[in-house]
Amino acid sequence: MTENFLKRYSFNIVANDFINAGKASSAIKGNLKSMGINAHIVRRIAIISYEAEINIVIHSIGGQLHCDLYHDKIVITSTDVGPGINDIEMAMTEGFSTAPESVRELGFGAGMGLPNMKKYSDDFKITSGSKGTEIVITIFL
Amino acid sequence: MNFSIMFDKEKCKGCTNCMKRCPTQAIRLIDGKAFINSTKCIHCGECIKICPYSAYTPEPIEWYEEMHYSSYKYKIAIPGTPLYGQFPKKIDICRVQNAILKLGFDYVYDASWAAEIVAKAIAKKIGKEKMIRPLISANCPAAVRLIKNRYPSLMDNLILLKEPMEIGAMMARERAKKLYNLKDDEIGVFYISPCPAKLLAVTDPIGNYKPSVDWVIPLNTIYGDLYREVLSQDDKTCSYPSTSGIKWAVSGGQSESAGLNNYIAVNGMENIIQILDEIENGRLNDVDYVEALACVQGCVGGTFNVVNPFVASSNIKNIISCADYECINPDLDRFEELYESGVLKYRLMEEDNPNNFNMKEAIEKSEKIKEITDLLPGLDCGSCGAPTCSAHAEDVYSNQSKLYDCVVLRANEKR
Repeated sequence: MTENFLKRYSFNIVANDFINAGKASSAIKGNLKSMGINAHIVRRIAIISYEAEINIVIHSIGGQLHCDLYHDKIVITSTDVGPGINDIEMAMTEGFSTAPESVRELGFGAGMGLPNMKKYSDDFKITSGSKGTEIVITIFL
Repeated sequence: MNFSIMFDKEKCKGCTNCMKRCPTQAIRLIDGKAFINSTKCIHCGECIKICPYSAYTPEPIEWYEEMHYSSYKYKIAIPGTPLYGQFPKKIDICRVQNAILKLGFDYVYDASWAAEIVAKAIAKKIGKEKMIRPLISANCPAAVRLIKNRYPSLMDNLILLKEPMEIGAMMARERAKKLYNLKDDEIGVFYISPCPAKLLAVTDPIGNYKPSVDWVIPLNTIYGDLYREVLSQDDKTCSYPSTSGIKWAVSGGQSESAGLNNYIAVNGMENIIQILDEIENGRLNDVDYVEALACVQGCVGGTFNVVNPFVASSNIKNIISCADYECINPDLDRFEELYESGVLKYRLMEEDNPNNFNMKEAIEKSEKIKEITDLLPGLDCGSCGAPTCSAHAEDVYSNQSKLYDCVVLRANEKR
């Protein structure tokens, strides 16, 4: 973290909890909106953090979502404990999904999560291993 | 800006109903009486509907004086589509336009005719422009203001086609100028409106064009005279509404008349807010069109209507299913020409957007507001004069009210 760093909001995300899925990203959106951050930036962050949150719910055994505020940028970090992603390149393809049928029936897992997150970010970093996945996304103000 | 809602302080008991219902939190209680912040108000009319003491009324509009004593040489009426839902099913609907003429207008251009044209434009625009999804209807001025105030990033999703009211007025003006060699200021265009929000669309449009409507007539103020005329006549000499365009009176009608399959028709403020939230989160980009109307059941639910929205909606559907007439829609065959010329579309007004955002200050502010919120009981009771505890915290932060306006806090202090 640099001197530029100002504030972190953190949320615990519970695996398979579709009742609360979306609440963390919605809290992030509400916070940033009330702070008066540009509406288009808030919308991009809303989309990114929602996808990240849903990914943790579907694919991991639990994780955290962080929203870090800097003078000139906002960074969304998603870290989870879980099986990790086998083939990142494949996972970045639109429409590719490993979500089970039971999840798709709920309307999730269309294979747009990671591609959408990348599309709306200024910088997108993903690392994944057998113990979990970390995604760091930056949006400049 | 004109304000379309009047408030009678004497009648207000400070019951907080309007304040809690207001979708933009524009209302506060000051000294026990409601007060509307006009910059936040989107003229949706929810406060008029909810107030148990009728403290809110639509602003009286001097259309009657304008119509009878003004210098207009030619007076045009544009009946909004919900008007047709306000008569019993047994009445032959062709009498309505005749009755309007009898009240002193020179010509009637039905909003349903224009609606049919706009519906074709919606279908065409959706087919042509595939970059932004969903496109959002721009027909309901209250929904559009809600988006502007609370979801500004979704302004890009607005379809930006003029509403039938405006297209109808434009067409009728053009016709009158051509036929009678009149100047613009010699023609008066009066829209018979189901809601106060239409007045806002005329006095303060979001688009960069000069509105063609001069006066908005609240439907319920002309209804009595109109109903008497409708009952008293038996001639069948005038025109019918378009059965496709008249669908616009009811939620889902725009999409139906445009022949869309992949659309969401949402009505009622609370429902609209949920759908807009979903769009903002990027979840509905597989939907072509979202028809968002502020009133329950759509425009037939507007505050100026006389008949219950569900009854009016049934009346409209009855007209459509029983239609055994042929509607002559005067400008329908000009659709391609109109679309290509661009008169159906508009651009948004440029907004000044000063870019002086400071993250550090914004965080400090939001933390202070959170500190204040944490002191409050979280009951959202409204007794302090703000709709929620967090709204009260913001008001306290900006020195618009005092922390101890909170009755719960005061009671706990005394103990």
